[in-house]
Amino acid sequence: MAEHTVGRSRGFNPGAISDSDNYLKNSTGVLSWACTLDHKRIGLMYLVGILTSFFGGGLLALGIRAHLFTPSGALFADNDTYNQVFTLHGAIMVFLFIIPSIPAALGNFLVPVMLGAKDVAFPRLNLSSFYLWVIGALFFVGALMGTGLDTGWTFYTPYSTTTETSVILATLGAFVLGFSSIFTGLNFIVTINTMRPPGMTWFKMPLFLWATYSTSIIQVLATPVLGITLLLLIAERTMHIGIFDPEFNGDPVTYQHFFWFYSHPAVYIMILPAFGIISELISVHSHKHIFGYRFIAYSSIAIALLGFLVWGHHMFTSGMSSLTTIIFSALTFTVSIPSAIKVFNWLATLYKGSISLTTPMCYAIAFLFLFTIGGLTGLFLGVLSVDLHLHDTYFIVAHFHYVMMGGTMIAFLGGLFHWWPKMTGKMFSELGGQISCLIVFLGFNITFLPQFVLGSRGMPRRYATYDPEFAFLHQVSSVGAFILGIGLLIAGVVLLYSLFNGKQAPPNPWGGVTLEWQCTSPPPYYNFSRPPVVGDPYDFTGLGWDEDAENYIFLNPIESPDEASEKVPAQQPAHAGGQE
Amino acid sequence: MISGSHLLGDYTDRFWFPESASTFSDQVDSTFMLVLWICIFFMVPITFALVYFTIRFMKKKGEPAESQVSHNTPLEIAWSILPSFLLVWIFAKGALGYIDQQQVPDNADTLAVKAFKWGWAVDYGGGVIHPELHILNDQPTQLTMRSSDVIHSLFIPAFRVKRDIVPGRFNDMWFHPKVASQRVSDEDLEQAWADAKENNDGVFDREKYQFTEDGYRFHDLYCTEYCGKDHSKMQTVVVVHETREDLNAWIKKYSVRPDGVLPAEYGKLLYERRGCGSCHSLDGSRRVGPSFLGGFGSDREFTDGTKGKVDEAYIRESIIEPKALVVSGYNPVMPSYKGQLSDDDIDSIIAFLKSLSE
Repeated sequence: MAEHTVGRSRGFNPGAISDSDNYLKNSTGVLSWACTLDHKRIGLMYLVGILTSFFGGGLLALGIRAHLFTPSGALFADNDTYNQVFTLHGAIMVFLFIIPSIPAALGNFLVPVMLGAKDVAFPRLNLSSFYLWVIGALFFVGALMGTGLDTGWTFYTPYSTTTETSVILATLGAFVLGFSSIFTGLNFIVTINTMRPPGMTWFKMPLFLWATYSTSIIQVLATPVLGITLLLLIAERTMHIGIFDPEFNGDPVTYQHFFWFYSHPAVYIMILPAFGIISELISVHSHKHIFGYRFIAYSSIAIALLGFLVWGHHMFTSGMSSLTTIIFSALTFTVSIPSAIKVFNWLATLYKGSISLTTPMCYAIAFLFLFTIGGLTGLFLGVLSVDLHLHDTYFIVAHFHYVMMGGTMIAFLGGLFHWWPKMTGKMFSELGGQISCLIVFLGFNITFLPQFVLGSRGMPRRYATYDPEFAFLHQVSSVGAFILGIGLLIAGVVLLYSLFNGKQAPPNPWGGVTLEWQCTSPPPYYNFSRPPVVGDPYDFTGLGWDEDAENYIFLNPIESPDEASEKVPAQQPAHAGGQE
Repeated sequence: MISGSHLLGDYTDRFWFPESASTFSDQVDSTFMLVLWICIFFMVPITFALVYFTIRFMKKKGEPAESQVSHNTPLEIAWSILPSFLLVWIFAKGALGYIDQQQVPDNADTLAVKAFKWGWAVDYGGGVIHPELHILNDQPTQLTMRSSDVIHSLFIPAFRVKRDIVPGRFNDMWFHPKVASQRVSDEDLEQAWADAKENNDGVFDREKYQFTEDGYRFHDLYCTEYCGKDHSKMQTVVVVHETREDLNAWIKKYSVRPDGVLPAEYGKLLYERRGCGSCHSLDGSRRVGPSFLGGFGSDREFTDGTKGKVDEAYIRESIIEPKALVVSGYNPVMPSYKGQLSDDDIDSIIAFLKSLSE
């Protein structure tokens, strides 16, 4: 429809922003950032923190892959060094990067804006959770600078109660990070429950908010168990209270139950927000209503709840009773259904859409492919007899990297590119972004596909040296890791370059209809001057493309009475449409 | 006979799996392939739809979508429920296979296995303890496993079995081997020993020759639960004997100190076989425990503040009750070897230590 392409003069366009309103520029100086209560600035500070952690964890990963290029180990002088490197890689990536990545960095920025609110419910709590994150990170740096850490990120007893490395420092770090996570979750639950604007019923919320809400529930319910577990671990180590260490009549398997009762739901803390991002990206860049809104929303909640019932599948070989083991296997399969529903719904959203192959969309498509592999390979591990063979081999390593990295990290990157213009007010090089996505996608598959075969052929994980029959596949994987590293570096350069040389971003470069696209890029520090009017977050029919400004504008703004009067009345009442 | 990668343990031409050598292998492999085909059944159409939709519906910015359909409840219910039937199928197949692995037949041989940082000790009865696992072909065998320090896990890829070994618990596993290990010719074995004596100080590197020091081909046995520094070296081998006579002959070979072997020499063998070297070096370097080099006869300070000389009595006590007197600067982590070493074994080890201080 040609009339949708219109000139700059018609329609609603929030326009450019003055420096005095710009949340990035309305106050200056270090203290204006360090003491800020603005959720957007806190989100940006989180972003800087987690990207630094990701960079550090990534370098460690490259060290691991370089070391494994030869069977006897090519890089590190001894096995102790290798063990410390893989432990820190895991601990940094899990606790400092993936868990806070989407909820704390992107979530902090987006939740209030998507709600049309000025800030989260508890801005001071929000800032304190950022500082807790920093303190937790410092504990990890302390452990690194001290005697290192060589327990693996899982801190399994009795190894962790007997090793000479900095277990207490690192567990205290994870304990503090846990509180950071709880505070963020609590904040979002209250914000979403109480601060939705008039008209935004639960089923008119953007799906990113549904995902964030589900995540927050898990954070608040599961993270305290991690805190308890880590305190008991410290008590066992220092006072020998006799709960986890068999030498003092404890039981190591009890520790595993405690640990995975948190850490399995934590997997969904990592992946659910990614689902939320993908729902937004697929719909906006296809310019088509999300398919099956209710199924996607309910499946997020279903995953959050079912995720609490499957922790035992990390322990199929540890010697639980057969009945317990079989029940956990059955429960594990139930989680796969809601994940499959989402994939089908996203594919159906693409069908008959108007797809713009922008950088965020490229990452969303890469996510769909990689996450589907990650999800399907989980089936092998849920099947008991096959899991006995694959447990603790490279098959597991490949599986969880496909889910955590191919899923969460790729979705995070897609979301970062998607909301970058909104957060910074700058447009990045579209070509550069697309190239980064292609290289990341290829590098990722070259790194992790061979690891499935390594695992099924019997290569155990966490080995510093290995038998020569596994050498070829390890070498392919190592080459892939460096390609992946180059791809991520390009993505980083593209974004950094845009900060200094990027064009001024229009308010709505992609054509989204959620509320963040109705304010300027970047948003003013108060977000909205008055509560915005809320409609269906996925109704794209009222948008037009302004070629000159490279911006989408709202053709039928409710703010403008004369435009509203021209509107054709609806053919049927709103409630008759079911979801409308 | 065969060269190149075929020489490597458990290597096969099959893409996904190592050698299939137990009755569980075929069951696990067929279930694996079933799940794989189900994954392909989903993955191919999903990938096709993803690529096709992306290309087919790519449009210039500003062009509206062809459809704004928001949902289709029957379709969504269908794709939510129908895959569940496949899930029930693979769950049941996996659970049945798992139950098989839990039910030990009555006529199974039983071996006690001890895992420690970083090695294995298989108890063949009668005081014979050896790091290699030797079993009889076509005979169900049960392992009763315990750990003397941290969690380990016993994994035999060729048998498709794995079970954690948790300190403070006995964990069991069983399997039914169905392929006997071949023996290499005496010539090859002699050649390998000659090579070991010439180039490797008499230490037999089985990974290099791909057969054991007694000339058997083997299956790999790995530790798959991270257990510290030398986790990746905590490997041993499984040898499947064709006949019980052959197995018993092998066990007998290791039962006692053979006539004509000096205690110090036998002590060195025990040092290698029983994994003392994981914690005690022979070159003076510091590992988990004090080095054996120059240890005998030296004066030591202990963690309880007392001082003493390392003599026969102290070494004997350190083997039987290691935590009684610990050299200061080290942690009390050594497990007791009470009942696992005969008096002659301990004498031999003492003689070996003495020889290091001369």
